[in-house]
Amino acid sequence: MKQASPRILLVDDETAITANLAPLLERAGFEVAVAGDGEQALGLVAGFAPDLVVMDVLMPRLNGRETLRRLRQAGNWTPIILLTQVGEAIERAMALEEGADDYLNKPFDPHELVARIRAVLRRARPGQPPLAAAERIACGPLTLERRARRAWLGNVELTLTPKAVALLEYLMTHPDELVSRERLLDAVWGWDYPIGTRAVDTRIAELRRVLGDDADQPSYIETVSGQGYRFVGRVETAR
Amino acid sequence: MKPRWLLLLIPLGAGLILALVVRYAAPTNPVLYLRADLATLILIGAALLSLAWFAAGWVAARFEHQRQDLIAQASDDRLRFLRRLDHELKNPLTAMRAGLANASEAPDEAARLAAFATVEAQALRLSRLSADLRKLAELETRPLEQAAVDAAGLLQEAFDLVQERAGDRQLSLSIPQAPWPLPQISGDPDLLFLAVHNLLENAVKFTRPGDRVEVRAFEDGSRLVIEVADTGPGIPEDELPHVWEELYRGQGAQGVPGSGLGLALVRAVIERHGGQVGLRSRAGQGTVFTLRLPVT
Repeated sequence: MKQASPRILLVDDETAITANLAPLLERAGFEVAVAGDGEQALGLVAGFAPDLVVMDVLMPRLNGRETLRRLRQAGNWTPIILLTQVGEAIERAMALEEGADDYLNKPFDPHELVARIRAVLRRARPGQPPLAAAERIACGPLTLERRARRAWLGNVELTLTPKAVALLEYLMTHPDELVSRERLLDAVWGWDYPIGTRAVDTRIAELRRVLGDDADQPSYIETVSGQGYRFVGRVETAR
Repeated sequence: MKPRWLLLLIPLGAGLILALVVRYAAPTNPVLYLRADLATLILIGAALLSLAWFAAGWVAARFEHQRQDLIAQASDDRLRFLRRLDHELKNPLTAMRAGLANASEAPDEAARLAAFATVEAQALRLSRLSADLRKLAELETRPLEQAAVDAAGLLQEAFDLVQERAGDRQLSLSIPQAPWPLPQISGDPDLLFLAVHNLLENAVKFTRPGDRVEVRAFEDGSRLVIEVADTGPGIPEDELPHVWEELYRGQGAQGVPGSGLGLALVRAVIERHGGQVGLRSRAGQGTVFTLRLPVT
């Protein structure tokens, strides 16, 4: 069954950004509506019924974080990608905690935004909270408690560095998605630097060692040669 | 400021010691009877009060003076930073505007694409600058990971990575094994790697083919010392105090690609780990950068 073009609501107070991103998203095959702040966005979520919202954080009147909170409190689980402007790690952690599905640091490559939108839409379970909003997630014996930032394998708590936990969290909340090293750096480390891909490989090795995962026959993290990593296990919301 | 306050306690301390000596060590502790008329006592009391008042005022003035100096220094730093930031933004923006003008008036498709390519390259340059500025700001506030870091392994990895791009420079790395291997340090392995790598890359960037770059590490009491020495053109003496500043570009760095934040990032990372950075250079002979980090 061929579906109609996915509807994207683009929310940013910077018209220079929306005026250029909207046509780009339309060319990528989406139907696009634009809002200039959170209040307009809330109105359009009701009227335009978007399949996904791309939203800036710093906006006049109602900011992105507050808008997100209101939507989630009202039980609206429309997938949301936040465009964070402040690069703080705390900012990103909060975005996920409040139920954003993904986020991008400004300035970003517009094609990366299209890739993010497609990935989030593919993952979306209409009307249901995304994995990204779940307090505990699990894959087989592996459990991750997100707010406490602790992980268990069966009944044994894992000893992991904070970075490794954040990396595991990102991979588990983006299951079955090929994530490039650069994307992981941007999302987990918060900044990209030319030599950073080595840092990603080191932490993946740490995760595999602690999880007892075999890189050749992975039950959790698969290496996609020359491209990045993919979490191959089936991830579910845990109680 | 603190030591100056301590100076005020010297008379009290000296008096205390003297009193104890007289009380317990001297053969006699004579009782003195002083006679004075009321007018003289009032005069002495008033003089002491004036003296105390004067001393307090002097201390306060010194304190205020130093505070003003700090404010002036901060204001100078801020102004310098703004000027440099303006300078860093100016060039890519000029190139972008020229590129856009070329694109709109391009005689053919190839010229138009070439113009767009320059605009894109400059936009990426600005993105890198913004990312580096953010890194610097985050370094000040984000909680620091405290993991055990194998310094020797970290140095070797950074060295291998830079060596691939070193061209005809002669690179050498010396890590002692005797009497014991390098100690471990505690901190964020990614940030420490970034600092060491930046320093090495800097050395390669500012030397010429044929130059030597020596990386040395050793333990100095409670510190791990990392030195990156080169036989490059050196840094003029008047530029030395500014080299670690954000967006500073010396004479030798004009036209060399980079955000101008590499060494500032190195300093921020090392200081955040409780260490110090240092630098010695002789124009025409070379430079040695030093990092000192506390050993766990």
